[in-house]
Amino acid sequence: MIEELAKKIVELKNEFAKSYDGKSQIQEIIPKSSSETFPIMDHHLELLHQFATKNPIYYNFFEKKIGSVDCIVYEGDINKFWLNSIQHSSSKAPFSPTWIVSGYIITLLAKELGYSEVIDIGSGDGRIAFCAKILDMESYSIELDEILVDLQKLLSDKLDFHPYCSDALKFDYDSLNFKHPIFFIGGLAQMGGTALAAGVLQKINSISHLKNNSGWVFAGTFSQKYASDPKNEGGWGTFIEKNNLRSIKIISLPTAWTFHESDPTPYIFSQSI
Amino acid sequence: MSSDKDISQMFHSESLKLHNLIDIANTKTDMDIHEIVETYYQVMNVSSIATMLKQQTESEELLNKIRETEKIISEKFNSNIHPKILTSLSTSIQETTKTLQSENVNKKSKEQIENDAKLFEELRQKMSTKEFVQQYDTGITHD
Repeated sequence: MIEELAKKIVELKNEFAKSYDGKSQIQEIIPKSSSETFPIMDHHLELLHQFATKNPIYYNFFEKKIGSVDCIVYEGDINKFWLNSIQHSSSKAPFSPTWIVSGYIITLLAKELGYSEVIDIGSGDGRIAFCAKILDMESYSIELDEILVDLQKLLSDKLDFHPYCSDALKFDYDSLNFKHPIFFIGGLAQMGGTALAAGVLQKINSISHLKNNSGWVFAGTFSQKYASDPKNEGGWGTFIEKNNLRSIKIISLPTAWTFHESDPTPYIFSQSI
Repeated sequence: MSSDKDISQMFHSESLKLHNLIDIANTKTDMDIHEIVETYYQVMNVSSIATMLKQQTESEELLNKIRETEKIISEKFNSNIHPKILTSLSTSIQETTKTLQSENVNKKSKEQIENDAKLFEELRQKMSTKEFVQQYDTGITHD
């Protein structure tokens, strides 16, 4: 069901991208209500829409029928956050979000795989942690940029996804008493993602009960704009092999940075060998 | 295989293009991104041809032309125009950043946000051009 949902949202995005003639820097869609094509609980959809309408990165929204699906289109601008994020020397990947509905689908998969806590590293506006909370998972959102964390606090009043303003490489993960966590790493491998992932992995591996008990999700790319990895996995293959992980599932979804591209973003779910 | 005459003509024509670009750069105080990139590419292009030709040719006339062009690149471009471009890009980036940071985003209309997005795009272009220019700088520093 999750893979089918992912496939349908990618088809819907492609249809939307063909007809979109607005000028916004970022744009995304969320189905208006549950349907046979998008069997997402209405209550969950409502929370996804609330996240968008309350989020100041979106300055406009309107209804649009895409194919046979009634959707809400959200238009936004993240330039201000980009300007702030590039001033952090340790931040290599400026804020650019996944789609809200993509965040929902990857956390659905994390839940189906049996993980109990979602930790979003380099979490931007906190959408992945927010989606995990919708699904009754425990979630934590770690972000270096204080302006983005202020935004997360604004968005976490109803569902507290625990925003932390911290350098993920210095964060005390042991203090949160994880049982069976899954870590979402923000940033492509080619944009400093491997350095971030390596640092967090090293910290988690030093906690004995988490070393072989944690999941990892990496955002990959097959775009020719970026150097490919000889072991593939959307740029993460060498990292996965070197760190004794194995890829267990790949699910491809729309993101802000692939809106104008034909290939969606592959999310590589992996765990210890 | 090209004759010495063909090679010499090619060098002459590429050098001429470079001299024109250097003359423009010398007189303009505010070069746009396209002009900056075009000038650096031509400097690198002519430098590469010169390096290759110096190893191949025995023509004293061509070697003299090469030395003359290398002198112009070193004295006019590397020592004068290139530092000015780098300074100008840095200043422009600082000014645009300051302007964009000082704006109040909360009271903007859809149109204002989308117009400002163009300024942000310009800033990104200036930043990547500066990176390119800095790479050139690293090259000449290590020569």
